Amino acid sequence: MPPETPNRDENRQNDPPAPPARSIFAIPAPIKQLFDRFPLLAYPANDLPLRAPRTNNAHVLYIFTTPKAAVAGAPSYNPACLKWQAYLNFSLIDFRVEASNNHASPSGALPFLLPAASDSTKLRPPVPSGKLQRWAMNNSTAAVEESSDIRYEAYLSLLDHPIRRAWLYSIYISPNSTSIAEPLYILPTSRNPFVRLTIARELRRAAEKELLKLSAVINAEELYKQAEEALAALEVVLGAHQWFFNASRPGLFDASVFGYTHLLLDGDLGNGWVDTRLRDAVLQRKNLVAHRNRILNAYFQKLKTG
Amino acid sequence: MASPLEDDVFEKLRQKTDPAEQRKQYDELDARLFAQQQKSQERVVELIDDNSTLPVTISSVRILNANRTRRGFLERVVNPILSANRSDQYTLQEALKEVGNATEKLNRFGIFKSPISVYFDRPDQTIPTSSPTDVDVYISAYERGNYTIKTGTEAGASEADAYINAELRNLFGGAETLNAHGSLGTRTRSAYSLALDSPILSNPDLKFQVNGFASSTLKSWASHEEVLRGGTSKLLYRTKNGHQHEFGYSGIWRQVTGLAEKASPTIRADAGDSFKSSLSHTWINDKRDNPMLPNRGYLLKSVGELAGFGMLQGDVAFGKYEAESQIALPFGDTGITLTAGLRGGLLYPLALGADKTPQNSRINDRFQLGGPTSVRGFRLSGLGPHDGSDAVGGDVYAAGGANLLFPIPKAGKETPLRFQAFVNGGRLVSLKGRDRGGGQTDTAANMKRTIASLKDDLPSCAAGLGLVYAHPIARFEINFSLPLVMRAREEGRKGLSFGVGIEFL
Repeated sequence: MPPETPNRDENRQNDPPAPPARSIFAIPAPIKQLFDRFPLLAYPANDLPLRAPRTNNAHVLYIFTTPKAAVAGAPSYNPACLKWQAYLNFSLIDFRVEASNNHASPSGALPFLLPAASDSTKLRPPVPSGKLQRWAMNNSTAAVEESSDIRYEAYLSLLDHPIRRAWLYSIYISPNSTSIAEPLYILPTSRNPFVRLTIARELRRAAEKELLKLSAVINAEELYKQAEEALAALEVVLGAHQWFFNASRPGLFDASVFGYTHLLLDGDLGNGWVDTRLRDAVLQRKNLVAHRNRILNAYFQKLKTG
Repeated sequence: MASPLEDDVFEKLRQKTDPAEQRKQYDELDARLFAQQQKSQERVVELIDDNSTLPVTISSVRILNANRTRRGFLERVVNPILSANRSDQYTLQEALKEVGNATEKLNRFGIFKSPISVYFDRPDQTIPTSSPTDVDVYISAYERGNYTIKTGTEAGASEADAYINAELRNLFGGAETLNAHGSLGTRTRSAYSLALDSPILSNPDLKFQVNGFASSTLKSWASHEEVLRGGTSKLLYRTKNGHQHEFGYSGIWRQVTGLAEKASPTIRADAGDSFKSSLSHTWINDKRDNPMLPNRGYLLKSVGELAGFGMLQGDVAFGKYEAESQIALPFGDTGITLTAGLRGGLLYPLALGADKTPQNSRINDRFQLGGPTSVRGFRLSGLGPHDGSDAVGGDVYAAGGANLLFPIPKAGKETPLRFQAFVNGGRLVSLKGRDRGGGQTDTAANMKRTIASLKDDLPSCAAGLGLVYAHPIARFEINFSLPLVMRAREEGRKGLSFGVGIEFL
């Protein structure tokens, strides 16, 4: 600050020649005064259309969910969305969820959060998922401390790679694509068969492209085997503890695990599982099953009662 | 030895020709030729007049030079005028008129070079089948080139684009046109279309059109990009007294995507896919003397659309009706004109398929109002409900305006340049029903309340002065205006604004 102030003063002294140059574009005072008188009459603003969401000054998390489940605050059917939904619940932040799709997101992918506006005319910029953790820490009265365990990153990569890839294969490419991906991601987009067909093809191609980034062919056996190994490792690191890395409260890691385990353990996801290999792998892990039930009961329970 | 006369010739040659004299000679020659032509024309007219009641039978019509056009297609135009196909007798005058009509028809297909010339001949009387009243008609119709390709770039105040347009004419020899268009731009990011246009039963007033298109348009006034993919089919019909009717079906996949960072919750709620399946009818009765700068006459236009109702399916269901009128009144022969326009529209939500509750309207279907070609003195889509900075559109609107146009003193009233003074305004509102809590079922009552609310207060309006230039393909305006009445969050525009368009309020 101190070294900058003299500079500013110098600028100010050099300023006088500038105003006449600007005044070519600036509106002369009398005309500006005249302009300011218009409009002569101003009424209150028009009402918004009926489809516009009612603003009740709450934070809104946009996720993949059904409109009915959104009202109840039920878990999202998308792992990434569910992760952040669970995390915000852990942080004891009061928020509403809104059923949405990727087109609504500033980053092109759900979830994202629209913070409550203090004044209804002013919009706060949306918070994409990449910045949600920091936002939650700044806006929570009970911010979650993340574990500083050195194994954290290594185990996180198990979720981000082997488990995520097996999930992509299982949901979008295996026979589950017609029993799970179709009713959850394709049918809600449109009632038109051509639109559905195009979106289904795009979705499958995107999943394949993602899988082909790391190998030249998509080998289901290999994908599942790696995921099973990863789940076994998570089972071991969780052990008999309540939360991962023996934390006192669930954190982002627990939310990330819950994002997958909850959905895999949900027998009624979509129209039910056809290819149950990944689901069976989780069912065998008693600690992970107990971990999922613990979160569901503690942080998603209100919706069962309410 | 030179005779004095020859001397005189040389003398004459030596003399400089007097330009005035020469011009006089040319003028005389011109006048003589003109008189001659006039006389011969008069003779033809006289001849026809004298023989106007002469009974004539058109025994054959031969169309020359139309090599790529189907015989069957041309027969439909020509057959009705053949005497063999008619019960009544022709007089010469009637026959000429009918032949004239047929060539007029050919002209209107747009596949022949104009003018199309017509010759009459008497068939050889020695042919036993010929009768003394027989006339043969020869129509010489040269076809235009069978394709045109145009490319170009356009730049305007808020948009720049580059386009390529290819047109294949007379594709199957029946005046079918195939038009392919592609453009890339700043506001209309991309647009591609392929359209086939064909007259039905060789009638230039009855056309069928199928069109497939894909486009992506930046709608900055509502913080999104709209991607469209779809097709329309249309039946176009022009009645004898100049009314145009258009019946169409369209199926369009709309995608609201690419939302801006500052997009409002209303726009975010509408992001994603929707399929519109709709039937529409357009009626236009344009009796203005010049659509770009009317001096006299009126325009009436109505557009009705029914989407998603019953068998139509799709993702959106509504009835939409829009009407537009304009009238131009001249003040004698002074070149001063008063034009007044009135527009209105409503979007009535319907229940989709087996649903009970009507569907609330989306950003894609709602009306927008305001801008240099709509209500002047406001920003593009500056009127109506706004969420944050987004113009989210409304379900019911009414707008009107009056312009007084004066010719510019030195330029005169013949040039397409005018001063204008205008007042215009309108209301764009969303359908009521929110304050009734959950019960939104009584749509009819809500619509009535909404329409009644249009006249609750003064409409948002603006007044100004400007300059108008009417080019044959578009009208340009530059105006200075100030908003008089506005609603909070509506976006007026104080000062200068520039408008280019085909239809103005």
